[in-house]
Amino acid sequence: MISFQNVTVKYPLGNIALDSISFDVEDQEFIYLVGPSGAGKTTILRLLLNDTKLTEGSILIDDMEITPAKFKQVAELRQKIGVVFQDFKILLDDNVYENVALSMRIKNYHPSEIKKQVTESLQLTGIEDKMYQFPAQLSAGELQRVAIARAVVGDRRIILADEPTGNLDPKTTWEVMKIFKELEKTKTILFATHNTDIVNSMKRRVITLKNGKMIKDKKKGGYEL
Amino acid sequence: MSDILTSLRRTPYQTFAALSVLFFTLLLSGLLFISLTFLQGLLNYVETRPRIIVYFQVKAEEDQVFAVRDKLEATGKTVDITYVSKEKAFEIYKEFTENDPLLVEMTSPDILPASLEIDAKKPEYLPELADLLKNQPGVDEVQFQKDIINNLLSLTSNVRKVTFMFFSYLMFMSIIVLTTTLSFKIALKREEISIMKLLGATNMYIRKPFIGESVFLGILATALSNIVLIGVLIVMNAFLKGYFADLGNLNMSLFGLPLQVWPFNLTFAILTLSVTAIFSLFITLISSFAATNRYL
Repeated sequence: MISFQNVTVKYPLGNIALDSISFDVEDQEFIYLVGPSGAGKTTILRLLLNDTKLTEGSILIDDMEITPAKFKQVAELRQKIGVVFQDFKILLDDNVYENVALSMRIKNYHPSEIKKQVTESLQLTGIEDKMYQFPAQLSAGELQRVAIARAVVGDRRIILADEPTGNLDPKTTWEVMKIFKELEKTKTILFATHNTDIVNSMKRRVITLKNGKMIKDKKKGGYEL
Repeated sequence: MSDILTSLRRTPYQTFAALSVLFFTLLLSGLLFISLTFLQGLLNYVETRPRIIVYFQVKAEEDQVFAVRDKLEATGKTVDITYVSKEKAFEIYKEFTENDPLLVEMTSPDILPASLEIDAKKPEYLPELADLLKNQPGVDEVQFQKDIINNLLSLTSNVRKVTFMFFSYLMFMSIIVLTTTLSFKIALKREEISIMKLLGATNMYIRKPFIGESVFLGILATALSNIVLIGVLIVMNAFLKGYFADLGNLNMSLFGLPLQVWPFNLTFAILTLSVTAIFSLFITLISSFAATNRYL
């Protein structure tokens, strides 16, 4: 379970990125984070990765507070989380298999287990036939599938997706969303997006942010600003 | 291993620069180590063979020389006394100057001094015997090993100082060059590192390939420098054999363990290899940690 308790993030010049945000996320829950640019969606995801520091409040993952000033277990925390970004963040010199396997190598999995899980995740995302191709040979949709496959392997229970469909055409967007639908059965997913169609069609919990404030938190909500 | 080779191949100029600096540092360190141990061995050799050479005036009679010899024997503090007559001195001189007949022609036994080579029972007797000799009639000069030891000590100490300064400079330069080279490579992989960190890679996991790469360069430089050092030792062995034919073995103690430094041998070569390998490891580890620290 993830818990945000009165989380405020202020930047040194006084800008407020998040203003006293509180919400809980149950295990295997799918949540859309919606709102205009600068609303604080990415800040929430970055806080969960301990990639930025909060000013007030606390964040807990499974009762472990992840935001103290001197939090040392950053690597351990991130090993529980899979990340999917709009710009894919794929290693260009490595092929598809190596990119996905990296997520498990970091956690010291046995090579045979790596092979098994990587193959399964590439099957799930539908790019097992591209296993030995390099990023330069892949389309944007395929690159995003690699990123999703990488986020899934290695027993990562939480998936943070930051505008994962932002660079994709509508057809590919729906194909990618199908994969996320499959993943929500086993993973907790926080999905930041601007895409009204996918939010409205899937009817999942929606947290709406505006100017760093949480203005709505609706079960089976839609895209409303 | 293949990742290391690929990474080195992708940046050939940086690899060559780093390898060259490491190679020269290790080669010079090895040469300095060999010189220092050889000098120390020589010092130990001289210190354990207490000897005085007394030269008589050219006009001194043989009887005067024998009288001095008898007095020395009477002290009971000598092991052996060798008389080197004017004629014998001339023979030795001829041997030394056999390539320069003009020098031989200009010299005759009459202008060379007779001498006594005195081996003392203990080094502590040397000053006492030297004092005794200085007051004897016909004695011109007393050459006492203290002077040789002092000269050797001073030489060893100076070589040690120069070695330390030179080696520190070389090591500093190597660390700087290697750190810069690695930093350049790490800067190229900054995006890759940030992705790995997002996925939860520990600092050690990210460091590992860079450490592996610099240690690999270190091993390669150690191997190359030791091939050259062994070549140098083989050439020096043949060259120095002529000079030190009568010397026997030169030994020294290293961390309490006996070490034969002359004639050069396999143990000494292995020790030189170990010393250069340790320096190489030190330089490469410091450099890779310094370079990766900036980005982690």
